[in-house]
Amino acid sequence: MGCALRIGEIHCGYGDGREVIKGISLAVEEKEFLGIIGPNGCGKSTLARAACGVLGCSHGEICINGKNLKDLSTREIARTLAVVPQDFHTEFAFTVHEIVSMGRSPHLRRFQSETKADVDAIEGAMRATNSLHFAEKRITELSGGERQRVIIAQALAQEPEILILDEPTSHLDINYQLEIMELAKRLNGEGLTVLTVLHDLNLASAYCERLVLLNDGEVFADGSVDEVLTPENIGKTFGVDVLVHRNPVTGKRYITSIPRIYASSNSEGIRVHVICGSGTGAVIMHGLKEMGCYVSAGVLNVLDTDEEIAEKLGIEVVAEAPFSPISDETFGLNMGAIEGADLVVLTNIPVGAGNFRNLLAAKKALEMGKRVVLVEETPIGERDYTGGRATRLLEKMHQQGAIIATDSREVFEIMERMSTCLT
Amino acid sequence: MMGSWPKRNWIYLVSLMLLLLGSVILAASVGAVSIPADVVARIFLKGVSGFSSRGWPETYEVILLKIRFPRVILAAMVGMALAVSGVAFQGIFKNPMADPYIIGVSSGAALGATIAILVLGGWVGVFGFSLVPLLAFSGAVATTLLVYNLARVGSRVPVTTLLLAGIAVGTFLSAITSFLMVLGGKDLHAIIFWLMGGFSAKNWDHVKAVAPFIFLGLPISLVYSRDLNLLLLGEERARQLGVEVESLKKILITVASLLAASAVAVSGIVGFVGLIIPHMVRLVTGPDHRILIPCSALFGASFVILTDLLARTIMSPTEIPLGIITALFGAPFFIYLLKRGGKATF
Repeated sequence: MGCALRIGEIHCGYGDGREVIKGISLAVEEKEFLGIIGPNGCGKSTLARAACGVLGCSHGEICINGKNLKDLSTREIARTLAVVPQDFHTEFAFTVHEIVSMGRSPHLRRFQSETKADVDAIEGAMRATNSLHFAEKRITELSGGERQRVIIAQALAQEPEILILDEPTSHLDINYQLEIMELAKRLNGEGLTVLTVLHDLNLASAYCERLVLLNDGEVFADGSVDEVLTPENIGKTFGVDVLVHRNPVTGKRYITSIPRIYASSNSEGIRVHVICGSGTGAVIMHGLKEMGCYVSAGVLNVLDTDEEIAEKLGIEVVAEAPFSPISDETFGLNMGAIEGADLVVLTNIPVGAGNFRNLLAAKKALEMGKRVVLVEETPIGERDYTGGRATRLLEKMHQQGAIIATDSREVFEIMERMSTCLT
Repeated sequence: MMGSWPKRNWIYLVSLMLLLLGSVILAASVGAVSIPADVVARIFLKGVSGFSSRGWPETYEVILLKIRFPRVILAAMVGMALAVSGVAFQGIFKNPMADPYIIGVSSGAALGATIAILVLGGWVGVFGFSLVPLLAFSGAVATTLLVYNLARVGSRVPVTTLLLAGIAVGTFLSAITSFLMVLGGKDLHAIIFWLMGGFSAKNWDHVKAVAPFIFLGLPISLVYSRDLNLLLLGEERARQLGVEVESLKKILITVASLLAASAVAVSGIVGFVGLIIPHMVRLVTGPDHRILIPCSALFGASFVILTDLLARTIMSPTEIPLGIITALFGAPFFIYLLKRGGKATF
């Protein structure tokens, strides 16, 4: 496979002397599906504009199919490379068919009328984008999603070898976003080289083979999705904490952000220990943190969702090795954490042999005179995998005066009340 | 764009040609002496083909060939020039509100004409012309060049700076014109009359002066009609689709300015034609320039012939300046377009 688009150490910027791209090199292979990602202002759209020759470079060179862009006329470029802009608007009421037909203009000589090949290309482009049925509608009457399909059809009518998409989905609803990306993927499968700028990291992960992460006008990371979309890379470029999960079905990475915590001082200094696991404690830990509590958690297995989130939230965790039952040592550490707490929260965890001792820890806390909140969103019977032992233990705790909360919101209400009593 | 040059386009073209022919004959037959339409047609044919027949008073022939035909044909040419210039500027500015005077043609021409009337009023013209059209034309072209160069950023001419430079220079020149008018005193009437536009006392020489611009400008505009369509999608998009946008803009600005300048030189400032004719035509044909340009030319010609007919007949024998009539028609239509607001399709 040859190199479809080669960007060699380019620098470019806008009139005011500000350099937006500060030396980027990049080679796009034929038939590749490459995504460009990065925070706002990193130069990803500027890179797309430079790659299609609309924006000149002060240094470096760009080659398509081995030919320098500078040696090609705009018509020649437009026959090889087509661009789909973010959005496009015209006040003039062309029909969809007229707009798509304009995509043929780089192939037509000045007074030449369309040949059979042109007509076929136009129809094919409209069929591929599912826009044939509104071919006679005026472009000014279309919805955003329809308009974007038409502009993609226009680009396809150019019959390009390379398609550059500049945030093609940024103005669209999620259903259209997926539709447009599916279309790009399909075209890629039919042999089109695709380079797309995306601001949505999850779309980038789902559709691209290779990602280039830009930061401040330079390439920060370049490689497979797994290599590029790491919490470290995202943290360093976007400046946010994220969790990277895997879509259990496709195995693709997806990313969720962790909201920054703006701790209020209402419950400042109150120490809460959260006994959780499998994601049942995430919301509670985050909320308590936001209320200003000092939060600890345990026992959690390493790699458990709650463990990852606690880590991100900067919460002290009593951790056990992955997929291992709670050992004597960690149980002891957990009890130590509980001893220092003003309040213990036992979340709505499923209980099995592995984490039964977490339940015991909560019961012990109760017996030590700690306030214990039991979150019971689902009845214990439905999440008891210990043959009834957990159910009996929980019933006993009810009798011993544990506070019952039906969801995490109630936990926060209990906290509010407690903090007014304590302060 | 398409191989689909819809059949209805031929219908538009043929009907507008018939309208133009009808307008010419009507305008030529109506006046202080009314001449029957068939006689007009026969004298017209005679003039065109040299085919000789008789059966009408000689005065008719004199009136038509010396007075009405030059006037009507000049009106047609000015209408074409202004309408096509308007189409081109609306395309360049991607704004349906642009008109031929948008980058200072009118203010430059007005200043030129004012200088000719006031300062050089006593001079006899060159080449059989009075100096007024000559200086009006020079003023228009010089202003356009000035605005163009002020707006230029390197080798590019961004439309926003073009618009702003046009407004600034226009205002400046208008102030000078007003100042000269204040000083002018006795010639004020002549200046005002020129500024309001019209075709009184125009002859074949004026027709000959404008004709080259029309016969060059119109085909050149047509040659670039496909690129004008692409330009309406935005300059960046046009480039992505293979149009050399900057050189296209230079050619179109030159052609459109020369069309407008030649029209202004012989007719004074006739407002609104360049704005409303492309609009009206676009409402029927749609925005495709391959049909919009010829239809605007034909309709613009008919429109100016008919408004000129009104201008000289409504209050006969007093002639109302043409600019007043076109504005009386143009302004309400313009307001109507604005009030249609979001529903407007250009």
